[in-house]
Amino acid sequence: MTPEEKKTVRLNSADYTTAFLRVFVIQTVWNFERYLSYGVAYVLLPVLKKIYQIPEERAQALSRHLEYFNTHPYMASFVLGAVIRMEEEKQQLPKAKQKEKEEEISALKVGMMGPIAAMGDNLFWATIRPYCGLIAVTLVLSQAFQVKGQYWIIPLLFLLVYNVAHVGLRLMGFVQGYRHSDQVVLTLRKYGFQEAIRGLRLASILLLGVLIVFVNLSELEKEVGLFILKLTFFTAIVGLFTFALHRKISPSQLFYAVVLFALILAFWPELSARPVFHMGVAP
Amino acid sequence: MEHWFPVSLLMAFLSLDVSAAGQFMISRPIVTGPVVGWLVGHPGIGLELGALIELIWIGDVPVGAHLPLDLTVLTGSAVAFACELAQGNYPPEAVMTYALGVAIPLAFLATEAEILLRKFHVRWIHFAQRMALGSHFRTFEWINSIVLAELFLKGFFIAVASLTLAHWSSRLFYMLSERVVEGLYYAHWLLLALGCSAVIDLLVEKKTAIYLILSIVSTMSLAVFFQVQGVYLVSLALFAGFILTLFYVGKGEAS
Repeated sequence: MTPEEKKTVRLNSADYTTAFLRVFVIQTVWNFERYLSYGVAYVLLPVLKKIYQIPEERAQALSRHLEYFNTHPYMASFVLGAVIRMEEEKQQLPKAKQKEKEEEISALKVGMMGPIAAMGDNLFWATIRPYCGLIAVTLVLSQAFQVKGQYWIIPLLFLLVYNVAHVGLRLMGFVQGYRHSDQVVLTLRKYGFQEAIRGLRLASILLLGVLIVFVNLSELEKEVGLFILKLTFFTAIVGLFTFALHRKISPSQLFYAVVLFALILAFWPELSARPVFHMGVAP
Repeated sequence: MEHWFPVSLLMAFLSLDVSAAGQFMISRPIVTGPVVGWLVGHPGIGLELGALIELIWIGDVPVGAHLPLDLTVLTGSAVAFACELAQGNYPPEAVMTYALGVAIPLAFLATEAEILLRKFHVRWIHFAQRMALGSHFRTFEWINSIVLAELFLKGFFIAVASLTLAHWSSRLFYMLSERVVEGLYYAHWLLLALGCSAVIDLLVEKKTAIYLILSIVSTMSLAVFFQVQGVYLVSLALFAGFILTLFYVGKGEAS
């Protein structure tokens, strides 16, 4: 088939589904030179195969998408949906205008990757994942819900809550990207991500307050005064560690500092109320 | 270590979820912990240690080109090792602290291996470019599967090495005096404080600190003066959080 003989090809739902499913492996060949570029090309390949029936044209299109691209893996769906739509539109244009469309596609990718990466990092890595993790951790450490040997319930709850947001956003991003094409960036504001971030962060803070009390709650059964004293001491230590983390000391470094401090405490000669251990033997 | 082979296979599979495939968060400590624990016969220890690791490293996020500490290797080897030590009837808190202390350097090594592999992937991208330009589309697609297999193998060998090294250090634990075990026991409580600090460092700002103080004071008051049960306190916090999120989202839509 020569370029003159080619006809406009319509994509079907199977093509979109294949492309969408490939979104889940977008980071496989992530590297320090072009980051997600292979992932983007891999996602688009089933669509490009259909749109560009001439191998040389397809090769050129695929090669175009191997340029530098780096963003949040979940939010990349917005860009990919839009790119598929624009590739379809490009094919229907006269030859003279196709180069211009190619530049538009490239500009969309370059223009969107920074802002959506910042939004995705803030929304998922710094808000939704910690919130889901905090729910799970509070349920485990507080022992509020007696799972009675059903250890899989809490991890399952964590996965369920997180993935409703994760898979939902990937799907929504893909669909909305395709629907709004190069205007997708303008529609991002209406989803209220910023407001959701504020709300979920406050929700996490409320849960953290409960967790801090729960960690020390075992003392309450013995004596109220002891519980309040332990809680106050615990809160002071939390403040100290927060200051250290704020000073960019890593959690791993702090871990060893904590162990060292605890060992000094254990060897302190005047420390009273030592726990009674029944030391085991090596199996 | 008795179950090194299934645990290594599981860790290799879970390590793919970190960034290469899915990212459904099955590789997070809160999931990896109980699964590895179940495989070696102590799901309770796995769940508790997984929760502790999740809390302490909650703020280590993959922003830009930064690769966070390999928490799958950290959790997998720490849980498998802690379960091995727990057979000696030592206090679980001390066992968990010791296992975590041994597993952290192993997780750093795993992260370094991941960085090396990602640097090596630059070659794959150049190869992919050549295949694309040469219209070898099938080979181009195969690169994805080959790299997935490569990452799985990396995960497997790292897991085997971590479990072996952790197992070797168990002799040292059995030589520890009662005082040292006591210190490790105290450290566990302090590590919970470190975890809470990690959450504060990630989420709390100056203007939202008041909500944390209010939450602590109100939870404490409800627990001390009204003897409200734990299950109700957690439910109340979750419900209040849900309402707050709805309120902010609604406010955003209205504006």
